[in-house]
Amino acid sequence: MKSRNTIIQQQDAARIHEILTHFLNDSSAVEALLIDRGGQLLARDGDAEALDAVSICALAAAAFSSTAAMAQLLGEPEFSVLFHEGAKRSLHVSTVDDESILLAIFDQRTTIGMVRLFAGEASRAVGAVLGEARARPKPAAEFAAPLKDTEARQAWTPPS
Amino acid sequence: MSVINYANRVIDFKIVYYGPGLAGKTANLQYIYRSLPNANRGNMISLATGDDRTIYFDFLPVSALTVRGFQTRFQLYTVPGQVQYNATRRLVLRGADGLVFVADSQFERLRENVESFRNLEANLHEYESTLDEIPYVLQYNKRDLPNQAPVTYLEFVLNRRGARVPYFEASAIEGKGVFDTLNTVSRMALASEFGVGRERRHEVS
Repeated sequence: MKSRNTIIQQQDAARIHEILTHFLNDSSAVEALLIDRGGQLLARDGDAEALDAVSICALAAAAFSSTAAMAQLLGEPEFSVLFHEGAKRSLHVSTVDDESILLAIFDQRTTIGMVRLFAGEASRAVGAVLGEARARPKPAAEFAAPLKDTEARQAWTPPS
Repeated sequence: MSVINYANRVIDFKIVYYGPGLAGKTANLQYIYRSLPNANRGNMISLATGDDRTIYFDFLPVSALTVRGFQTRFQLYTVPGQVQYNATRRLVLRGADGLVFVADSQFERLRENVESFRNLEANLHEYESTLDEIPYVLQYNKRDLPNQAPVTYLEFVLNRRGARVPYFEASAIEGKGVFDTLNTVSRMALASEFGVGRERRHEVS
């Protein structure tokens, strides 16, 4: 399906933050990452500050896409959950909608059952917010005028 | 596709390096990784086989300019070039905001370049997209090798769609042309977010 741009306004970010905070409290997971299926981070919440979230998002989106492709080979639309169990920390990735997924990192303080239960609720709620955000037109304020040459200057300088 | 986040004033873009196997896609990202200061780049991830052939993708996040109050960030991906990895190639392509087609300039690789370019168009079609909708540039890599095809010939073979796109001669392993390519495709992706994407119609001299 065709991908669409995602524009997260302040009020969307606040609602998503509230949903993810509830999810973390209810499930006792450590960290929640809301990820676009192309691999971009949409929102995050939790205590794992040192986490390389950008890399995790790219890898999780790729892993989830791979399992979806395998599911289709088996005649399934997709596998709705991906779970990796570690010695200390585990990952749970689940579908939010056609364009995003929710990744939860959790440890021994909770169980896969709890995470799965509350991830489903959180996914539905956050999916509704994203649906509204995507349906909204792009704000004119910053984006209406074409970039000027001075704004679109060279981003990186090659080493000399 | 791009993510515009008003909460932290960031715009994220996804740029995909596409092309036949051994054309130098990974070499582009490795050079960028080595050249940028830590503050402007994250970790580089390479999902490769034991003999360093890309099996899924390479990934390198880089940060760039602040434009109209938004910091811009670009996530650079490569696809596996080998023909048999088309399923994973298609997955990596999902949501791309800009494309770099890395062609191997050697005469004996011309056919693989053309097949890879057609494969790119076919995979975009799977996402209901086309090269008319996504900014892209061509990079003619391996210009340091002796058996290179003339640029005019590569242009004739690869840059022949309705609107010609910018192209760059490169030797990615030495870094030549790598940043010209990256700067141009990122500027085109950025421009496409604001007003009309002017550089999509960029005239090539």
